[in-house]
Amino acid sequence: MPEISGYAFPNDIHVHWSLMIVMYPYITGFVAGSFIVTALYHLFGKNEFRPIARLSLAASFCFLLVAGLPLQLHLGHPERGLFVMITPNFTSAMAGFGILYSFYLVIVMLEVWFVYRQEIIETARRSRGFKRTFYAALALGTYDTSPAAVAIDHRAVKLLSAIGLPSACMLHGYVGFIFGGIKANPWWSTPLMPVIFLLSAAVSGIALLILVYQVTAKLGRRAVQADTITSMARWLWFFLIITVTLELLEIIMLAYENSEAWHIISPLLTTRLQFSFISIQMIVGSLIPFILLFIVTVMNRYLHERVRNTLTFMASLLLLIQVFSMRWNVVIGGQLLSKSFRGLRSAYEPHLFGREGIVMAITLFLMPFVILYFFDRVLPIEAPPGAYPPEHDGSPEPGVSPGAV
Amino acid sequence: MEHARHVFRVVLVLLLLVIAVVIGRSFLIPRSFGTYGNYRFDNVAEQAAARPPLHAGAKSCADCHDDRYVAVGKGRHAKVSCEVCHAPLGKHVKDGDVVAKMPIDRSVRLCAYCHRKIDGRPAGFPQIVLEKHVDGGLGAKGCLDCHDPHSPKL
Amino acid sequence: MDETRKGTPSSEPPPPAASSPGRRDFLATALGASGGVFALLAGGGALATSAEAGGAKGDDRYDWEAHQWAYLIDTEKCIGCGSCVRACKAENGVPDGYFRTWVERYLVAPDASHVDSPNGGLDGFAPVQTAFEPTKSFFVPKLCNHCKETPCVQVCPVGASYRTKDGVVLVDGKSCIGCGYCVQACPYGSRFLSPETHTAEKCTWCYHRITKGLKPACVEVCPTATRQFGDMKRDDDPVRLAIAHGRVQVLQANLLTEPQAYYLGIDKEVR
Repeated sequence: MPEISGYAFPNDIHVHWSLMIVMYPYITGFVAGSFIVTALYHLFGKNEFRPIARLSLAASFCFLLVAGLPLQLHLGHPERGLFVMITPNFTSAMAGFGILYSFYLVIVMLEVWFVYRQEIIETARRSRGFKRTFYAALALGTYDTSPAAVAIDHRAVKLLSAIGLPSACMLHGYVGFIFGGIKANPWWSTPLMPVIFLLSAAVSGIALLILVYQVTAKLGRRAVQADTITSMARWLWFFLIITVTLELLEIIMLAYENSEAWHIISPLLTTRLQFSFISIQMIVGSLIPFILLFIVTVMNRYLHERVRNTLTFMASLLLLIQVFSMRWNVVIGGQLLSKSFRGLRSAYEPHLFGREGIVMAITLFLMPFVILYFFDRVLPIEAPPGAYPPEHDGSPEPGVSPGAV
Repeated sequence: MEHARHVFRVVLVLLLLVIAVVIGRSFLIPRSFGTYGNYRFDNVAEQAAARPPLHAGAKSCADCHDDRYVAVGKGRHAKVSCEVCHAPLGKHVKDGDVVAKMPIDRSVRLCAYCHRKIDGRPAGFPQIVLEKHVDGGLGAKGCLDCHDPHSPKL
Repeated sequence: MDETRKGTPSSEPPPPAASSPGRRDFLATALGASGGVFALLAGGGALATSAEAGGAKGDDRYDWEAHQWAYLIDTEKCIGCGSCVRACKAENGVPDGYFRTWVERYLVAPDASHVDSPNGGLDGFAPVQTAFEPTKSFFVPKLCNHCKETPCVQVCPVGASYRTKDGVVLVDGKSCIGCGYCVQACPYGSRFLSPETHTAEKCTWCYHRITKGLKPACVEVCPTATRQFGDMKRDDDPVRLAIAHGRVQVLQANLLTEPQAYYLGIDKEVR
């Protein structure tokens, strides 16, 4: 039984939205954030993002495949999970899941297909037997790799990126709306919530890709492109500043208005969430990465490559923790306060094992990387030479070694 | 457009998928869904028939226990339903037959639910401080040693 | 007062001046083996769901368009006995530790207040010590308010939660997926996820009783007439008259959920 300080409504003492509901926005955050990175190349043509364009697309796809699992694990009746698509009640933001998820899944799958189609066909041509049939089926029986067809592929990718970007943002933004639209809970109810979630997703996506890029480059003995890392660090810093500004703004506004909401949120932050919000989310998770990325961004040209990579790596690691703690503080924190506004319950301790336990959460986080490994086996993430159209200005990118795209 | 043939192929596959989903979904929607609103209308009747009512009200007790009913009606507990101190009718009678004896709780605790002196009860409502009501405290005597629960005023 | 009776007219004369069903009628209609009720619905169509579809006729059936239920709580009368909480638990099989209705105690002084609800009031209230000297104290029974503009129905992703035409908010236990969104959305803490059914549950105003002409169990047992149940469509209904002509309050009025549970005599401390 949880301990209550003050008075909580008798039904209000349970934390129904568990660790799984913290994991769900965490994972869809990676989906949206990775897609933002891939769109920076495929849609906005930022060439310094080319080395990670396919990696981020694949990452978005792999995390998307896992995204529905935390929800299924949380439901009281997982076997009825599909009801959301069969009898959706569209006044509920949660009902958007069915459509947004399916739509975005189709977009990502299409984009992957158009990005890889030429290589799929070429792989089919080079293979025999089962492998040939498999790749031919993957190509949906098409065989045209003429420059005209490939040019159409590239245009399709750009179009899909343009459609996919707002879709990815909606897929994660609606989660913020789920919380923001609950007028009963003052910790959740704010128009800023979808925006904060989305910007936080961008932070998590870029941070994740910095880590994955550096790790895979090291494992594959490839060079880490300096301008890629620099640009990612810059975008990361930018998104971090806006995210934390909005997160703090919400609290400052509540404190300034000093309404009944603040009277319960203030003790929530200073007692129950003191460690996870102030220590982890703000100081370790926001302030330190801010300083590290400040150094990387402002003092970039004085930095040795190794230092830059290390600082960015550390900042990204801390930011992954920050984004997780932000989800935790929003989801769990909102349930620690009672709707009576007079009581707080003791901290929520997730089980170690079990459907909604810590081991399950870690498994869910690692699963996309396992899928990514198999994705790479079927559709290699490292692009072969010539996979991308030549640069617009014709001059080689600084730091790009020939042949490594 | 010859080089765009693969695009048409993909769009076709997608279209077939969407049609399959839409048709499949229409089979899965419950029949009564949407009749009066975005819910399964059959449930209204299901809820109305969800369980047999358990409580019946004091007048139902009167059909067999009329003398008791009249006696209570003359005393201070006239407005207290039999089921408040005894159990709901459904635990005693089913389908017209007695299925179990009606529980009789003679404990001090039962009377204390209403009559123990605590802050919050309206002024004028009969309340007692349990420890001081009787010499030696109530532990020795129960409330029923002096009061008749059906007409408690002494 | 409509008397809902099933089957052919009773052979014995109805009890004189009876205002609620007598025992035999009660048992015949309600505690009978089938316990069925028919819902007569708008448009003249009858949807019989009980096995005895052919048996009942006309006024035996419940017409949900003829009622608009409302609830009135006069906190000046509440003695905090907890009979309502116990009756609800028995009537509806509410799991331990969860509450479809509960009673709160308020001890208030001009600059301090204390609120508690030990086990929801299930075992009554014991005297309590506060750090301050209360100048006023009272009890407030709480339950689902069956709001007109329900935040809970709004957020249900599958349409399991809904409001009937007679003004009762219900949860379809077969459609509910147990996501818990409605529990989060209710500003009054009325809902919970049942550990037994793994679906959302809450007070139903004893829909299985009111559709048979009975009152909710909590209203039935309340010894001081604190809890009252009425029909806004009946001109002479005392609850309707109190709401229409008296000074009434609702909980968290600023949220504009339009609760249909009205309160008399609550204080600014009550949320």
